[in-house]
Amino acid sequence: MIKMKNISETLLGLVSNYSPSGQEKPAVQFLLQRMQALGFERTFQDKVGNAVGIIGQGPHQLMLLGHIDTVPGEIPIRIENGVLYARGSVDAKGPLAAFVDAVAAVGVRLGWQMIVIGAVGEETDSRGARYIVDQYRPDMVIIGEPSAWERITLGYKGCAHVKITARRSSHHSASGQQTACEAAAQIWQDVQAWTGEYNEKYNRRFEQAQTSLLKWSSGTNGFENRATLEIEARLPLALNPVDWFLVMKELAGTEEVQTMGFPIQAYRSEKNSPLVRSFLKAIRGAGGKPDFVVKTGTADMNIVAPVWQCPAVAYGPGDSSLDHTPQEHLSLEEYENAVTVLKKMLKNITD
Amino acid sequence: MNNNVLCPECEAEVSLDANVMQGEILVCPDCGVDLEVITTDPIAVEIAPMEEEDWGE
Repeated sequence: MIKMKNISETLLGLVSNYSPSGQEKPAVQFLLQRMQALGFERTFQDKVGNAVGIIGQGPHQLMLLGHIDTVPGEIPIRIENGVLYARGSVDAKGPLAAFVDAVAAVGVRLGWQMIVIGAVGEETDSRGARYIVDQYRPDMVIIGEPSAWERITLGYKGCAHVKITARRSSHHSASGQQTACEAAAQIWQDVQAWTGEYNEKYNRRFEQAQTSLLKWSSGTNGFENRATLEIEARLPLALNPVDWFLVMKELAGTEEVQTMGFPIQAYRSEKNSPLVRSFLKAIRGAGGKPDFVVKTGTADMNIVAPVWQCPAVAYGPGDSSLDHTPQEHLSLEEYENAVTVLKKMLKNITD
Repeated sequence: MNNNVLCPECEAEVSLDANVMQGEILVCPDCGVDLEVITTDPIAVEIAPMEEEDWGE
């Protein structure tokens, strides 16, 4: 039995409803009921399954966009020494719960509509964010991801995936001809060499390209051998997915190159915005020392911010190095500090 | 109101707009460091928060 004392009911309820991507419904139902109980004026599940809570009305709109899905791998919930161990505690039910608790505590603000969304599918195809991007045009957006309570996340790298397949006619290995596997291995070496050369110009990881060989497979139908590479790239602002794909095509020569999934452009928000100023003031007001951070991962910020063209940051309690790990956990003090910062920030921005 | 401050990094005199806001980030024209306006009455600046890098989301 989890001790209920000193833990947000929103946070505990969210992590208690295990919700890997595609199985978000119980967590969404919980969140809708919770937001209703906390005084949100409208709560509903939208067409793609996102949980939406709205409070206030007016000409200005502030979006707090978290995600309610997690990576798979249920972690038994426990609280030890003020630390909550649970899947999603950091990525990103902690930040989403903090949004809900802070907005509920601040309540209606004259001239402002505040919208909290627990989006589905962020860990897979971002289908929740891809749906809402055409439904809203907020004045500002805060993405719910773990920045740690004293830090403000300004940007994320982009990502792209390709599949490269080399094919060679079957022949006797004693013939000395290049095999499909050898051709594919050469392409991967060329990709690594190109990446290394590109990165020589940059010192910061946020500015560098990072390529990973995610999968290697090979086979034959008796007449033809094939070898397939699946490559992922984490891309900086200066390298958009289309340009990287063209580089891959060039390196692959005559071999087949296919794009996979949804390529995502890197995004970095402007420091000099009313949103950032409000966070700086709120973090100092809560006794913290603010810092900025840019991340080598990708988030829903990359999907919505370029379209909405409004001030955007990511914020939330937790240490993002615990994302996707079996050790995922969140300090409850860290959570409370983040809620305090969010409450101050919401008041600053809506005054 | 005097809107000039000294850069805490290089001690260059930095001139601020009359409508400068708390939390605004400025660049010192001499040394290029980012400065944050901590208060507007009186005007005071500090070196702006550093930009760290992290992996993850």
